[in-house]
Amino acid sequence: MGIVSEVSVATAPARRAHQGRTRSIGVIMGLIGLFTLLVFGVGSGLSAQSSLTFNPVNLSGTIPWHVGTLTLSTAWTNIVLALAMIALAVEVNLRLPARGVMVRFGVVAVLFFFALLLWAARTGGPAPINFVNLTAVLVGSSALAMVLIYGSLSGVMCERAGVVNIAIEGQFIGGAFVGSMIASTTHNFIYAAVVGALVGALLGLILAFLSLRYLSDQIIVGVVLVTMLGSLSSYLNLQVFTPFPQYNTGNLAPDLPIPLLAKIPLLGPVFFNQTGFFYLMIVLVALVSFGLFRTRWGLRVRAVGEHPKAATTVGIRVIGVRYVNVIVGGAIAGVGGVAFMASQGQFQPGYTSGLGYIALAALIFGRWRPSGAVVASVLFGLSVYLADNLQTYQIPVPTEVLGMFPYVITIAVVSGLIGRVRPPAADGIPYQRD
Amino acid sequence: MRLELRGITKRFGSFTANQRIDLTVEPGQIHCLLGENGAGKSTLMNVLFGLLQPDEGEILIDGEAVHFTNSGEAVRRGIGMVHQHFMLVPVFTVAENVVLGFEPVKSFGRLDRNRAREEIRQVSQTYNLEVDPDAVIEELPVGIQQRVEILKALNHNAELLILDEPTAVLTPQEIDALMEIMRSLAASGKSILFITHKLKEVKAIADVITVIRQGEVVGTAQPTDSEGDLAALMVGRSVNLTVAKEDVTPGEVALEITDLVVRDDRGLPAVDGLSLSVRAGEIVALAGVQGNGQTELVEAIAGMRPVESGSIRLRGRDVTNATPREVLDAGLGHVPEDRQLHGLVLSMSVADNLVLNTPRRAPFARRGSRNLGAVAQNASDLVQRFDIRTTSIQSPVASLSGGNQQKVIVARELSRPLTFLVASQPTRGLDVGSIEYVHRQIVDERNGGLGVLIVSSELDEVLALGDRIAVMHKGKITGVVDPSTSRETIGLMMTGAHAEES
Repeated sequence: MGIVSEVSVATAPARRAHQGRTRSIGVIMGLIGLFTLLVFGVGSGLSAQSSLTFNPVNLSGTIPWHVGTLTLSTAWTNIVLALAMIALAVEVNLRLPARGVMVRFGVVAVLFFFALLLWAARTGGPAPINFVNLTAVLVGSSALAMVLIYGSLSGVMCERAGVVNIAIEGQFIGGAFVGSMIASTTHNFIYAAVVGALVGALLGLILAFLSLRYLSDQIIVGVVLVTMLGSLSSYLNLQVFTPFPQYNTGNLAPDLPIPLLAKIPLLGPVFFNQTGFFYLMIVLVALVSFGLFRTRWGLRVRAVGEHPKAATTVGIRVIGVRYVNVIVGGAIAGVGGVAFMASQGQFQPGYTSGLGYIALAALIFGRWRPSGAVVASVLFGLSVYLADNLQTYQIPVPTEVLGMFPYVITIAVVSGLIGRVRPPAADGIPYQRD
Repeated sequence: MRLELRGITKRFGSFTANQRIDLTVEPGQIHCLLGENGAGKSTLMNVLFGLLQPDEGEILIDGEAVHFTNSGEAVRRGIGMVHQHFMLVPVFTVAENVVLGFEPVKSFGRLDRNRAREEIRQVSQTYNLEVDPDAVIEELPVGIQQRVEILKALNHNAELLILDEPTAVLTPQEIDALMEIMRSLAASGKSILFITHKLKEVKAIADVITVIRQGEVVGTAQPTDSEGDLAALMVGRSVNLTVAKEDVTPGEVALEITDLVVRDDRGLPAVDGLSLSVRAGEIVALAGVQGNGQTELVEAIAGMRPVESGSIRLRGRDVTNATPREVLDAGLGHVPEDRQLHGLVLSMSVADNLVLNTPRRAPFARRGSRNLGAVAQNASDLVQRFDIRTTSIQSPVASLSGGNQQKVIVARELSRPLTFLVASQPTRGLDVGSIEYVHRQIVDERNGGLGVLIVSSELDEVLALGDRIAVMHKGKITGVVDPSTSRETIGLMMTGAHAEES
C-alpha cells in the first residue's frame, strides 16, 4: 500500500508540468490556425480560386485512371482548414491528452503547409500558375523525407547506445560520392548501396574509435568529419568527376512500381511507385523499431545508452555495443547518402546542404524513437521541399523562412517550450571502466 | 556459498588500495566489512565482482579458484551485488532491470516479457519482497529501488550478496526493513557481505566483523564489542563518539522564522506555515525524514529559494527574500546539503574554494583585482587549523576525499565572522574521525555564542548535537522537544504525531 501512494505522489506534479507543456503546444497550434484563418483564408479574398491536380509527373503516360482538376475557393477551403486546426488546438487545450499531442501538432503543421500552397497558387495573386500538383508535391517531399529518415535512423542507432553522431551529414556526402561513382560504373544500385554503406560504416568506425578509445568529444569529432568530407568530396569531385563526367552521370534510381497498388490515385505514386531505396528505408524503420523495443538486443542497447555502468555490472560489454551501433548507424546514413544521390541523378559538392543536421533535428523532435523520427522527417521533408520549390509561386515572403522551420521547431522542442524530450541519459558521455 | 579471498592486492599506480586481504564468508553468515571512507572496501568488492582485476591473490568459491574478467561471470558464479549507487536504469521497468543481461527470449531474440514478470513474481514471493514488475524505476521510492536491486541479484541465483553501504540513502524505517530482509536471506542460507562504516548497524546485524583500514585488514571483531572499540579499530586511534557539550545559557533570538511558506521545484508548498526561533549560543537540531521540506527551508534561509509568505529575521534584520549575497553579508554561515553541488566548485583549487563567498572583499581583493598572496595565506592557515588533508592548496578540491571536502566548506564558513550558522547534513558520508571533528567545531561555535541550526536525517546526530530538537513533518514543525526525549517519541513525531499526543 505504501508503494502505491508514494508513486502517485511522485508522479502527480510531473503530470501537471506535462499538462502545462501540452497546453503551450495547444496554444501554438491555435495561433497557427488563427494565422491561417486570417491570412490564407480571409486574406485571399472571396473571388480567388486555387486548383489541385493529381497526375503524377512520371507516370502520366501509362496510368489507366485520370483524376480531373479540382478547383476550390481559396478563401473558403482555407477557412475550413483553419477551423479544423483551431478545433484540434481547442481539443488539445481542453482534453490535455497524455499521448499523441505531437502527432496532432504534425497534422496542424501539414494542414498549414497545404493552406499555404493553396494561398500561394490562388488566382489574382502574384503567382504565374494557379494550380498545385499535389501528387508531385508529395512525391517530391517523400524523396527528401526518405533521406531524412535514413539520417535520423542512423541517429537513433548511435544515440540510443549513448554516442552522438553529428557526422550524419558527412556520411551522406561520403555515401553520395561513392554511390555515384559505383552506380555510374556498374549501373547497379545494389552495389552502390553496399559500397555507400561501407563508407558510412568506415566514418562511423572513425567516430567510434576516437570517441570510445580516446574519449574525444563526440560533437567535435562529428563536426570535424563533416567538414573533412565536405572538403574531400569537393576536391575529389574536381579531380575525378570534372575530368571524367562519365563517372558521375545518369544515376537516377528507377522507380519500382508495385503492381496494382501503384495505380491508386495520389497514394500509389507516393508509396508504391518508389525506388528500392524507399522500400529499403521502410524495412529498416520496421527493423530498428522492432529491434530496439521488442528484443534482447534493444534492451541492452538502451541500457548502455541510459546507464552504462549498470549495463557493465550485468556483464554487457558497453564499448562493444557502442562500436557496433555507431558502425551500423554510419552504414545506414551512408545508404541514405546513396539514396539522396539516386534521387538527384548525380553527385554535386555541397548539395546535401544540411540535410544531415535536419535529420538530427528530426531525431530530437521524434524523441529518439524510429516512429517519431519518421513523423518528424515527413514534416521536415515537406518544409524543405516547399522552401526549395515555392518560389515558383512568387510569394511575397522569402522561401528561406520555410527552410528555418525544422530548426525553429527543434529549438522550441529542446528548450521545453513545446513537448518534453529526454535524450538517453548517457547520450554523448564517454564511458570508461574505472 | 563459502567465499574465500586470499591475499588480494590491488594497486592503482603507486597507490595500494588493497594490501594482501584475507577474508572468508561462510554460508548463511552475515559478514560485515567495516572501514572508513577510502579504506578500500569498495575496491575490494569491485575486485570480487569482476569489475576490477586483482594484481595478486585469489578468489575461491567453495574451495575452487575463480577468475572473473567481467561482472557477468561473477553473477554466473552466484555473486550478487547491491551497489551504493543503484545500478538500475531509471526509465526501465522493474522487470526490465531485473532481467537485464540475463533476459528470457522467444524466437528472433524477442524479449519474453511475460516470463520476465513471472520470474520476478516467483522470486519476490520466495523471499517475500513485494514489488510491481511493471513499475518504472524512477517513480519508485529509494527503499523500493533497493529492493529491486536485491531482487535482481536473487533472480540471478545469487548465493552471496554484497551490499555496499546500503543504508546511506535510506530512512530509519527503510533501514529496519532492509535489516529484516538481510536476516531472512541469511536464514535461507545466503551468505551476505555487508559493507559499512556505521557502527550501530554493524552491531545490530553482523555475525562476523572484519575491519579494514588503509587497504589492510587490521583485525576482526565481535558484534558484542562496544562501539568505542569498533571505532578505535576502524580509525586507528580512540575516538570520542559522544560530543562533550558544556552548559551555555542561550542569549537573545538569533534566527526567527514566522509563518514561512516556501514552494518546492514542482510548485507545491514544501514549507507550509513553519515558525521556529533559535537563540544565540544554542543548537537547534531539525529532525525529520528526508523530503519533508528541510531542504527548501534551508534554501529559503540562505536566499537560494523565494519565500512565498512569512518572514525570516537574522538578529532582528529582515532577510526574507534577500539575495544570497545579502544573506552572507548579514553574517549567515551555510553548510549546504549537497556539498559538491552548492558548496564547492570542484575543479577549482582548495585555496579558491576557501574564499568562494568572500572573493571581492579585502584582503582577498582590492579594486577589482585579486590578492593571490592573501588567498594563499588564508588557505595555508585554514588547511592547518582545520586539518584538511590535501597535497597542496592549489590542488583541485575534487581530488580531496569527501571528508576533507566537507572540512573545506566548514573551514570557509567558520573562518568568517558569523551571526548565525545553518548546517544541512553536515556529516553525511563522512567517516567517524571526520564526524567527530565537524561536530566539535560546531559545538565550539555554539559555545562561543553563535546560534546554530542543524538539519540532519541521522537521529544520532540530532540527539548528539541538539540543545533543542525540532521535528519537521510535511513542512510544519510537529514539536520542539528536549534531547532527553526517547527515540521512539521522536520517531513518532517524524511521522506527524504531535509531541503531546505521543
